[in-house]
Amino acid sequence: MYSLMLLNGGIGSRVAAGRPKQFIDVAGRPIIVYSLVAADAVPEITQIVLNFPEGFREEIERLVTDYAIQTPVTYVPAGESRHESVAAMLPACESDHVLIHESARPMVTAADFKQLVTDPRDNVSLMLPIPFTVAPVDPDSGLVTGSLERDRLRNVQLPQKFLKADLADAHRKAAEQQLVFTEDATLCAVTGHDVHFIDGQDTNLKVTTPTDVKLAGFLLGGDEDV
Amino acid sequence: MSKSILITGASKGIGAATAERFFYADNDITDFILLARQSEDFEKLIGRLTDDNPYGKRVLPHVIDLNDRARIVGLMRDVMAEAGKVDYLVNNAGYTAPCALQQIEFADFERTIGVNLYAPFTIVQELLHCGNTFELIVNIASTAGMGGRPGWLTYGASKAAVINMSEAMKEELSIYGTRVVCISPGRCATDLRRKLAPDEDPSTIMQPEQVASVIDMLTSEVGTLVDSQNLVVRQ
Repeated sequence: MYSLMLLNGGIGSRVAAGRPKQFIDVAGRPIIVYSLVAADAVPEITQIVLNFPEGFREEIERLVTDYAIQTPVTYVPAGESRHESVAAMLPACESDHVLIHESARPMVTAADFKQLVTDPRDNVSLMLPIPFTVAPVDPDSGLVTGSLERDRLRNVQLPQKFLKADLADAHRKAAEQQLVFTEDATLCAVTGHDVHFIDGQDTNLKVTTPTDVKLAGFLLGGDEDV
Repeated sequence: MSKSILITGASKGIGAATAERFFYADNDITDFILLARQSEDFEKLIGRLTDDNPYGKRVLPHVIDLNDRARIVGLMRDVMAEAGKVDYLVNNAGYTAPCALQQIEFADFERTIGVNLYAPFTIVQELLHCGNTFELIVNIASTAGMGGRPGWLTYGASKAAVINMSEAMKEELSIYGTRVVCISPGRCATDLRRKLAPDEDPSTIMQPEQVASVIDMLTSEVGTLVDSQNLVVRQ
């Protein structure tokens, strides 16, 4: 059984919608609803740990009620950063295995969660091959500093799954070494835990900019056969 | 796996024909939640289904005036308690009091909208709030909702709204895998049609059983290929 940590605490300043982006309507409904409904259809997910930006708990609870989410939900206040949020949500997870997803990725499906749940390995992340060239640079000098082999790089996506003990150990080590990561697959890998990857979909975009909102709305508006 | 069907306006016409078509077939629909106002027709239908039940199906009748929104809300909770789920929903109940604009009683307009539009909306919303996910929702609109006709202002407006509501429902409920189909029958030999066209010979127009056969098709494998917001059926 799995506890799903659904990250929902961002304020969405880049989307510039004037409110947390998880309340932005995409194809007619708040973006967070897509992740909640997808997770609710996976029997192996027996708990959703949901964080919320300060002042928005009531609104989040109303969405969970209105959409009749059947999986028990545990609410945790959002941290100052994503790293802090995961560290704060982890103790609330009741299962030995955890999944991490973020509401800003509304294209997630129950099949995505199922794919991770049925994978026999403990720590697995969806990751996307990079079809373009990425260069290392020195932002201060404005110089390109070398080259990277894109075959050895992946775009880190969510959802991910971890053994709760491994993730807790990674966060403990990060706290000791005062390390802050922007996501947990690389955090676990750097702190000595094997993390595997499986190919994700390019449609699993993270809604970050107003253009992303339009693109997600187009993708979620229906698979029109035109 | 056994399935359940909820049909409104089940006492006669398209509702009764749909109930009987599914009831007297060897299929996977075992629970029949039938809603109608109190009437002799409804009592007779329930008696017929109870007395002649070759496949041992469950008949769950409920007398209700669908203009009573508060009662619908309570009833949907009862329905979930007794049936556990609603796989197929046929929003069939309809009301009309044809009248020229200058003579329309506003209470009649409100009742028309209440029964034809607010009731199907409330049934769907309440069952969703109860955690139900539908396989198929069929909303019965009318070709009268596709173009205004003199004397049918209230009825036509309510059915136009049902057609539009169905389009929105189809999009919104796709996240659950629910199919939503709106059927707009043309002239069909029902009591409601008799009110709209009292001089018409009902034997010359489409019969309720023919509309029921279209609804039956929608529950079949081939029905899953029907992708239409408004399926016009007419003879």
